Amino acid sequence: MTNEAKLQHTVSAPKAKKRKIASLDKKKARAGWVFVLPFIIGFLLVYLPIIWDSIYMTFHSISIVDGGGIDLLPVGFENYSDALTEDPHFVQTLLTGMKELLFDVPAILIFSLFMAVLLNQKMVGRAVFRAIFFIPVILSTGIMESIAGANMLGTMMEGSGSIDGSQQSAASEIVSVMDIEKLFYSMKIGQGLVEYVAKMINEIYDIVNRSGVQMLIFLAGLQSISPAIYEACRIDGCTAWETFWKITFPMISPMILVNGIYTIIDSFTTDSNSVMRYIRSVYDKGTEGQVLSSAMAWMYFIIVMLMLAAAAGLFSAFVFYQRRD
Amino acid sequence: MDMNMQNTPKITKESKNKIRVEFDRTPLKERLKAKFLNLYFFQRVAWIIFRMALLVGISYVVLFPFVSKIAGSFMSPEDFVDVTVRLIPKNFTLDIYKAVLFELDYGEAFVNTLIISLLCGLLQTFVCCLIGYGLAKFRFKGNSLIMMLVILTMIVPHQTLQLSMFMHFRYFDVLGILSFLSGGASVGFMPDSFNELLAGIQLFQLQDNALALTNTYWPLAILSVTGLAFKNGLYIFMLRQFFTGVPDALEESAYIDGSGVFRTFFTIILPLSIPMMVTVFLFAFCWQWTDDFYTETFFNSSKITLMPDIVKVPKSLDIQYAGKEVYEEAIRNTCGLCIIMPLVILYSFGQNFLVQGIERSGLTAE
Repeated sequence: MTNEAKLQHTVSAPKAKKRKIASLDKKKARAGWVFVLPFIIGFLLVYLPIIWDSIYMTFHSISIVDGGGIDLLPVGFENYSDALTEDPHFVQTLLTGMKELLFDVPAILIFSLFMAVLLNQKMVGRAVFRAIFFIPVILSTGIMESIAGANMLGTMMEGSGSIDGSQQSAASEIVSVMDIEKLFYSMKIGQGLVEYVAKMINEIYDIVNRSGVQMLIFLAGLQSISPAIYEACRIDGCTAWETFWKITFPMISPMILVNGIYTIIDSFTTDSNSVMRYIRSVYDKGTEGQVLSSAMAWMYFIIVMLMLAAAAGLFSAFVFYQRRD
Repeated sequence: MDMNMQNTPKITKESKNKIRVEFDRTPLKERLKAKFLNLYFFQRVAWIIFRMALLVGISYVVLFPFVSKIAGSFMSPEDFVDVTVRLIPKNFTLDIYKAVLFELDYGEAFVNTLIISLLCGLLQTFVCCLIGYGLAKFRFKGNSLIMMLVILTMIVPHQTLQLSMFMHFRYFDVLGILSFLSGGASVGFMPDSFNELLAGIQLFQLQDNALALTNTYWPLAILSVTGLAFKNGLYIFMLRQFFTGVPDALEESAYIDGSGVFRTFFTIILPLSIPMMVTVFLFAFCWQWTDDFYTETFFNSSKITLMPDIVKVPKSLDIQYAGKEVYEEAIRNTCGLCIIMPLVILYSFGQNFLVQGIERSGLTAE
């Protein structure tokens, strides 16, 4: 009897406890839903219909009725085939855009990691340099970018203006690419690498402009590495070079994954991207162009998604996660 | 042995707490030599010089376009055809600024953009905080699915959605409620006078059984409140990482003291995350300020003057001469400068928060 009672007691006690925990969890889960509610409502009621409409309309031709409404005619894949076969520039722009992306992403990643490591070191005027480096993140977007785009067109037409505030001049005034190329050729490293570095230097303004957020993320990552590890390394006699490759690089590798994905997303949605510019110019051509531009944008989106998946798979194979206990 | 004895310092006890040590110091020259004449020191100096040169060089690349724009904005038309003028104007003038500020409705654009940017900035910061906190601290079913959806909204380029977004807000009608109310009739169910009243206060108009929300502040407000506006995915991600780094013990102790989930959030978590919130607000405000995509989409035929509308050549400066193209470029650049001037002031105050907020966030990938 007593034994049984004991047994029952021991069984029932954890049961009651367990139920209590579950209810708290449920409560917390409900609170969690309340916190994300704005997003869910917005996603279901606003975003999903917008996306659906956008895809739906690419399978239709559109015309404006006199009353002010619009008329949709189903045409199947005509918009897509038009974009691929009839538009003279789209495929070409797409290919150059892809090439640009393949060039840009490693360049931005390397540059922003390098700068973050530099800006993380203790030195005179660090705060000033940081403030300067993050100016483009805040200021060179939207309107400023489109004004700068107009400038580039202006300088191209003009040859060389007298006060061209354009980017190319700023970069080419520091170093001429020819000198760099000569220097690197004499160092006998592969021609591909030389061209890559030369191009990177040529487009340094663009790269600096677009690596602000990445720099911030890398800086945050660098700050989270414990200084004790570096100290241990120094005591063991590591050089700075070894420390970078054996400590900093593995510890920062999750950030490289995040930044790689962010850079791909950012560089293909930015207005200065050549494909995006082209799609926008098609959009401005009128109602027909608007549908066509949507079809183009969706095709571009699918291609970039594939690239994103490939990049994520490739990066994540090399990512090192520090186990936290 | 003898030498050793000589070199050992002689210690005499002077008082209870004081000792006196007598030893031969190495001469100053020797000490300096040991300190500065070695490879390690040279390496360090070389590295510092190299680093400085690099940072100054890149700062130059960042700042030069701004410097040249500022220089161009003070020049008079003659300077643009003068080959000897590069960065310092010969005939210093404020004509361009005067024309941009007074002829182009700068004041109106400023006020309107300020309203929109403040509205969007505050709403987005708050809503993204809510969503980020919900995703970081509560393990409910579908948590990771919602995170995926947030990332999806980040990677679908907004140009893809431009047309349907415009359509959607031009004929705003959630779940067809309005057309249901009007019984599918083609005429509006509201009297025209009511419509005119609504149009008068620029809230919204009822047209074709739907609300015409374009040319009002509503589309941006709706997108902001639901965390779908420009780059909100990034903010949610940043805030989620930040809140993940906040120790659970803080909330647990608050729960034990009898505080509810929401009270804990507002009284403990939010004050804690002010640097991060300032960072997000700075981003949201500045990116909305210079945005020309949403303003172009939603304010296409509007009486509301916004910043992108004032990037044009003022009438008084529209003159025919040889350097016209360069001159107009300089005018457009000046418009750009006038647009970002308030942001520069804001940035100079907020940049400290920007760096610190991100650094403290402990942004780590999982």
